[in-house]
Amino acid sequence: MGADAAVRCEALIKTFGPTRALDGLDLDVRVGEVHGFLGPNGAGKTVTMRILLGLLRGDGGRATLLGGDPWADAVALHRRLAYVPGDTNLWPNLTGGEIIDLLGNLRGGLDETRRAELIDRFDLDPRKKARAYSKGNRQKVALVAALASRAELLILDEPTAGLDPLMEAVFQDCVADARAEGRTTLLSSHILAEVEKVCDRVTIIRKGRTVRSGSLEELRVLARTTISVQVAHDGMEIAGWPGVFDVRRDGVRVSFEVDQPAVGAVVERLAALGIVALESHPPTLEELFLRQYDAELAEAGVHQ
Amino acid sequence: MTGTTLVGTGRLVRLILRRDRVRLPLWVAGLIGLMAVSASQVQALYDTPAKIIGYTSTMRDNPALVIFAGPGYGFDDPGVGVILVNETSLWMALGCALMSVFLVNRHTRAEEESERADLLRSTVVGRHATISAALIVALMANVVVTASTTVLTTAVGYGFAGSLALCGSFGMVGVAFAAVTAVAAQLASTGRAALGLGAALAGLAFIARGIGDISTSWLAWLSWSSPFGWAIGVRAFAGERWWAIALLAAFSLAVTAAAFELSVRRDLGSGMLTQRAGPARAPRWSTTPLGLAFRLQRGALLGWTVGVFVTAAVYGSVGNQIEQMLEDNPQLKDYFAALQGASITDVYLSTALRMMAMLVMGFSLSSVLRNRSEETAGYAESMLATATSRWWWVGSHLVVTVAGTVVVLAASGLGVGLGYALVIGDAAQVPRMLGASLALLPALLVVIGLAVLLFGWLPRATVAVWGALAAVVVIGIFGDVLRLPGWVRDLSPLQHVPALPARPWQTLPIAVLGAAAVVLTAAGLVGFRRRDLTGA
Repeated sequence: MGADAAVRCEALIKTFGPTRALDGLDLDVRVGEVHGFLGPNGAGKTVTMRILLGLLRGDGGRATLLGGDPWADAVALHRRLAYVPGDTNLWPNLTGGEIIDLLGNLRGGLDETRRAELIDRFDLDPRKKARAYSKGNRQKVALVAALASRAELLILDEPTAGLDPLMEAVFQDCVADARAEGRTTLLSSHILAEVEKVCDRVTIIRKGRTVRSGSLEELRVLARTTISVQVAHDGMEIAGWPGVFDVRRDGVRVSFEVDQPAVGAVVERLAALGIVALESHPPTLEELFLRQYDAELAEAGVHQ
Repeated sequence: MTGTTLVGTGRLVRLILRRDRVRLPLWVAGLIGLMAVSASQVQALYDTPAKIIGYTSTMRDNPALVIFAGPGYGFDDPGVGVILVNETSLWMALGCALMSVFLVNRHTRAEEESERADLLRSTVVGRHATISAALIVALMANVVVTASTTVLTTAVGYGFAGSLALCGSFGMVGVAFAAVTAVAAQLASTGRAALGLGAALAGLAFIARGIGDISTSWLAWLSWSSPFGWAIGVRAFAGERWWAIALLAAFSLAVTAAAFELSVRRDLGSGMLTQRAGPARAPRWSTTPLGLAFRLQRGALLGWTVGVFVTAAVYGSVGNQIEQMLEDNPQLKDYFAALQGASITDVYLSTALRMMAMLVMGFSLSSVLRNRSEETAGYAESMLATATSRWWWVGSHLVVTVAGTVVVLAASGLGVGLGYALVIGDAAQVPRMLGASLALLPALLVVIGLAVLLFGWLPRATVAVWGALAAVVVIGIFGDVLRLPGWVRDLSPLQHVPALPARPWQTLPIAVLGAAAVVLTAAGLVGFRRRDLTGA
């Protein structure tokens, strides 16, 4: 086990009766990075996290967390990590402040200065009973409790669901701070813009398997660049060029997608046609993400 | 109240029936079965006028029996029907009442705590539809119980009018407490509190009727303060007074109207009592697993301790009347002497302590099930993701359960002891009853152990442990009437504890029960250590 791996899953399998929730999942999170964990609902993100926390027991493969076994060494490992569950359920008759103290103490202590600062930054009223909190406020309680700990690993399951855009920005700052302090973060999310902003590397999973993993730069190479161009004449012949897909007329312009390796050749040929105007943008994470799910999208009747 | 507030009631009724498709038929079938078997056994046991007279002369005017069975209307000119009323009426009424309390709370106040209620309310569902649907299902359940038991009792050979009056009276008590729970659901701030309030009101009404019936003094009015008193007041098989059933119906309607009225005056998810701001920091002691478990359960523990103590004190304080009764009725003296070989008062006191122990078992089970409810609510996930081991987490709740059971059992012993000591002026009765009550602890620990075993290995079946309590109650209260075979009675751990103070102490059965409890609990803990956390 290399010292640089905070989390490593190899061919992880988990079944619930006839359902195979994880089907040979691989995940590799390096120490000190912010790792995005992406996948549609039901892909197995939460199940993976719960196995890493020793709440569920894997049926096959291997999972290692901070160099230990997440099932057998649960208590020792949990002193070094903090978790924010996707569905934040809090004891309805305890106040937010009490719950932060409780979870902090059970993890082995809170940083008092940071606790006060986070409550302030997230604009949380710690004197309210949990039953009176909205979903977003419950999420804030769990986030403050996790971020105020001295944990070296943060496991966050869709932590910004229910937060308003302002609080999302605060959250992103906090993750950046954690990274600067050398902490590791595993962050599952649906909000791709957020992942794009804060994550160093991402793992995309689908139906319990890993489909892509790497830095955003590495993943972009696998995707297509979108080009929108106005040339001297009609320009529809572009459709016949190698590496070009999905050509559409868009007013006076032509839009199309280009495979990353073909970009150079395509631009040269466009120059020969006489470019009036050209705009290109690299693939967004969203496009990257959606490309992994072509089959599901077709099933759902969505046309790209 | 306009028509639109009830929109969607029909669909909600179907939803409740679908969600309770196992639970509700079990309650209904259990109550019907209990009544059917009781009716045929009473018929078989008391098959001659001499035997009937023998029964009534033993029972009549004996306060110890009146408090558990009823005042014995029709004992002057008895038929077998009045024996059936005496043996079943109150307990069936209590059963119907508890069925309604659980059912109505589950689908009103408790349901609001889940986010499903908001989801449902946002669909085309009127403001009163939720309460109405829960009450309609409760009404249906009680009507099915009434109709089936009337038919079965008549079929066994009892008169139709008397059967209808008896079965209708306990069915209507069920309906009345459905309405009472609908009100409790509006007042309490949590589902758990609403359940406690509904069950406490049923218990209070049950006891009030008992005190009223044995009182010759100013307390006699208590008989008519309680739906249980009205049900007994129907006088089935003794010149039926149908207006008493009408009284129950009118009471139910009035209370239902109150529930509707209260429901529009509060917001979904809140009680009538508004929440105040709480502390911003947690006291140090409450931030450990044990501290949290105590914190979460202390309200319930306090409520049970007070409720059990008061109930026990009532039972203890009638102890002296049994002595007086002995002076007047040598036949009764012989009956008990032949039956138990112990003083009649001690037989009564040991019976009272056992009844109380069944009540205490209610606390023990609701407390031990806290582990499971914390798990399904998702709180266990937060706890176990911290540096809290599974042993420590379950163990903390278990420590509170066992310590709480000792406390509530002690409250029962102290209550009976104090009540009895005060009326006979003998302080030595307090430690004597306390000891006799605490001797029942191992039997309760066995049932707690069973719950832990289920929790460890079959978590989704953990609630089935309420069935064990039902079995203990049926064996303890109806064992004789149903003529249950010995091996069936032996299934109840309470049967194995020596009946202190009527019988001498025996170490062996107590030690065996204690050992069984330890084994069951340990096996359950091992199972939990090995399994996945699961949802509901």
